[in-house]
Amino acid sequence: MSWIHRLGNAFRPNRLDAELQRELDFHLSEKAEELAAKGMSPSAARLEARKRFGNRTLAQEEARGMNLFGWLDSLLADVRYAMRSLRASPGFASVAVLSLAFGIGANTAIFSLTNALILRSLPVNHPEQLVKLAMGSPDNDTFTNPLWERVRDNVAPFAGAVAYAPSGFNMSKGGLVRRVPGAWVSGDFFRELGVQAVAGRMLQVSDDHRGCAPTAVVSEGVAQSEFGGASSAIGKTIPLEGKTFDVVGVVDPRFFGLEVGRYPGVYLPQCAQQLMYGHDVLDARSRWYLNILLRPHAGVTPEQLDARLKSLAPGIFAATVPANFAVGQQVEYRKNTFSSYPASNGMSQLRSSYSAALYILMAVVGVVLLIACANIANLLLARAAARQREIAIRLAIGAGRGRIVRQLLTESLLLSIFGAALGVLFARWASRLLVGYLSSDTRTVWLDLSIDGRVLGFTLAVATLTATIFGLAPAWRASKVQPQAALKSGGRGMTDGDAKQRVGRSLVVAQVALSLALVACSGLLLGSFRKLITLDPGFRSEGVLLVNMHFKDTGLEEPARAVLQGQLLERLRHQPGVVAVGASLITPLGNMGWNESVAVADFGASNPRDSVSYFNQVSDGYFAAMGTRLVAGRDMRADEIAAKRPVAVVNEAFVKHFLGRTNPIGRTLRIVTGDSLGIPREIVGVVADAKYQSLDEKPLETTYLPLNQGDPGLEDLNYEIRIDRDAAAVVPAIRALVTEANPAISLEVATFSGQVAASLARPRLLATLSGFFGALALLLAVIGLYGTMSYNVTRRRNEIGVRMALGAARQQVMRMVLGEAGRLIALGIVFGALISFASTRFISSMLFGLSATEPAVFGIAVVLLAVVAGAAALVPAWRAAQLDPMDALREE
Amino acid sequence: MARSKTDILQGTLALLVLRTLSSRGSLHGYAITQHIQRGSNELLRVEEGSLYPALHRMSQDGLIKGKWGITDKNREARFYAITAAGKKALAEEEDAWRRLAQGVSLILNFA
Repeated sequence: MSWIHRLGNAFRPNRLDAELQRELDFHLSEKAEELAAKGMSPSAARLEARKRFGNRTLAQEEARGMNLFGWLDSLLADVRYAMRSLRASPGFASVAVLSLAFGIGANTAIFSLTNALILRSLPVNHPEQLVKLAMGSPDNDTFTNPLWERVRDNVAPFAGAVAYAPSGFNMSKGGLVRRVPGAWVSGDFFRELGVQAVAGRMLQVSDDHRGCAPTAVVSEGVAQSEFGGASSAIGKTIPLEGKTFDVVGVVDPRFFGLEVGRYPGVYLPQCAQQLMYGHDVLDARSRWYLNILLRPHAGVTPEQLDARLKSLAPGIFAATVPANFAVGQQVEYRKNTFSSYPASNGMSQLRSSYSAALYILMAVVGVVLLIACANIANLLLARAAARQREIAIRLAIGAGRGRIVRQLLTESLLLSIFGAALGVLFARWASRLLVGYLSSDTRTVWLDLSIDGRVLGFTLAVATLTATIFGLAPAWRASKVQPQAALKSGGRGMTDGDAKQRVGRSLVVAQVALSLALVACSGLLLGSFRKLITLDPGFRSEGVLLVNMHFKDTGLEEPARAVLQGQLLERLRHQPGVVAVGASLITPLGNMGWNESVAVADFGASNPRDSVSYFNQVSDGYFAAMGTRLVAGRDMRADEIAAKRPVAVVNEAFVKHFLGRTNPIGRTLRIVTGDSLGIPREIVGVVADAKYQSLDEKPLETTYLPLNQGDPGLEDLNYEIRIDRDAAAVVPAIRALVTEANPAISLEVATFSGQVAASLARPRLLATLSGFFGALALLLAVIGLYGTMSYNVTRRRNEIGVRMALGAARQQVMRMVLGEAGRLIALGIVFGALISFASTRFISSMLFGLSATEPAVFGIAVVLLAVVAGAAALVPAWRAAQLDPMDALREE
Repeated sequence: MARSKTDILQGTLALLVLRTLSSRGSLHGYAITQHIQRGSNELLRVEEGSLYPALHRMSQDGLIKGKWGITDKNREARFYAITAAGKKALAEEEDAWRRLAQGVSLILNFA
């Protein structure tokens, strides 16, 4: 018989039943007829026929049991029964489902973030074929345009090659800046990746050539906000950094470029850099910013690809040596070679800074779910004890033990499926919240959080696993019930002694241990975060506005631009509400850095890295505005800056490293570029160390040069404005002042404290979430302990009554219960400490100023756990002590 | 008399049914019991409660095939016939049975 037939049987049990019925009826009537023919009365014959046949229902059932899908029927019955028994105890069911929803939901949320950031492939044509070009190590993956052009023109060894560079563009002309995330792409980019336009056309090879026209492709979001819709965007123009671009198409909304975490609103052809940044930018051999993806020909092995890249490299690097490199550097440059790495999931800065944190969080929520599982297992155990009678009756009337286990497991599975369904809803909300947490004023994080097969599979697997974890022990125990004993004992659950409680107790110990580990972890992360926010950064960030001004569109050049910048400084200082004003090229913790080799008399560098100093260009009054202390000498003066006098201010770390104990004032330093030495600059002042790139860095040797001296031009300038009132009261006046000075200046306003907070996004996220989950773990463990102790007290009512009747004092009873709880807690703490010592080193890279086994943090965690758990045990202990022995014994 | 009747050995019911159907063509369940009882001179008794489950199992395994038909008394009944697979199974079972019987009788006679 074919399986289709069997499948058919499974879904037509009624027809099968009816046929069997008729067949048996026929048999019985034939038999009766035969007996009647032998002389029996018809009714007696019918009876006799039935008697001889035996158990007709059993025969029928047995025949039916042969349906391949007969078990489906009993499964449905199990589910119906489980639903009924869960409905009968709604309190238990809702507590279990809600805690599972939370546990599974938290796991799903973190996993869907991990999925979106790390696991998921780019939504492009055959992402698995793509490889990323790099030089030696996977992180060394940015290239200059001259390098890219040579790779592109030698593309024959590959099926395709594309270049991509994330960027951001200002969409307004003058006034407040409106920044849109964008990307530079090579002409072949969209065709090679198979990305379609939803309106107009995508950029193509003919759009990307030297001297190209300004064309742009925009996202649906930009098309909507700027032009009112995708179709109306085509043929319009969009201003970007003061230049006008023609919109030729709107990109498929599922595509988000090659960098996971960003969502470009504008794509521009690589050649248009020339229009935006000047004629020689495409030939710059020291601007490293392009990512290159290759698609090897079908059937090319990674080794073959590597060999091809290695043979290409020498020619390409020899043709692109930066002219300003020192001879030694040029030799080093020529030695570079290409390597390739899988790139199916694209590139991502967000990924490199957050993947370790996500794995930590994944472990944390996994442990929380385990603790929640232990609680539910405990509840189920208590429930199984209460249901002993029911189970005994079912066993007594013939249920198989396997059947009972299956039925109880169905109940557990049902709980976790409900939990998972709610959990997915919770996760959708929570993962969005988390992504919001990753974003800041200056960086909008975008991740595709749609729930895909992988996330669903994960949730399903977690749900099944949890059901097995918390359901197996109670089900196994229930199957051990001895019907006679259970029925005789009148459902009092006094039948089996201590062995039964062992599972419950071990669960409590495990809960205490795991929650201690989580509390210790979160203690470390919270402690690190506290250190980060309370350390002295060398500046006072509260009350400082950061106003970034762009002077490019004013069309002014040096020295007129510097004059305007100086005038603005003066005028801002006279603004009501403004206490101090400074200006600088770089703002601390603003994701920008500048370093150079320096030469100082009497300082011999042991290696090239040893002679590096970080740099900034600042105005007079910068240190005052930032609240950075002057340690020795004096600040630069406005007239010095205007006259371009070669002076410098250095920080204490610079003095310590380069100058030692000698008096730094009056000494000179020179910038070393390639083989040439810069002009000597006189050190006029020393300031306290201030954080430069991040709060957790060691003090960096820093040199402050006067504004508009040194390599980077100052088309953009940051003004630091210390104010003594609410920002909202000052910002409009500042905007008006700037616009009045020159309407072509565009400006962005932010708060310095916001920038500092943004730099702490990761430690804050870790501290907040681990603190939250640590507290939750503690709460769950305490509930577990409380439940177990209360249950034990109830179970031992009679025994306690007897003890008291025989003269035990209330304190003794209390001590007995507390002693039991204390043993569990102590055991849990011992195991927990071991787990913590073994596991906290995995978070050591996330810690600041604390070691992974910081004794103080561990001590606090242990005390906290002991106190909270002890308090939870007090309630049942007190209740035991209040027991009236007469009441307890009368029940016997 | 009932005492001398032998309940059919576990597993031999299928053999008997197959043999009956192969020699007598298509039969309904009742006729199968009749044939086995009469053919064995009332020595064997078919447990009716296990016949129908056995028939269903065999038709699921494809050894026999059931079809509704009309008896000579003009009543509806399900008639079973042996299939090609059933014939093959019958040959194997017969062989196995003969060897078993031979072995058992050897022991009974000479041991």
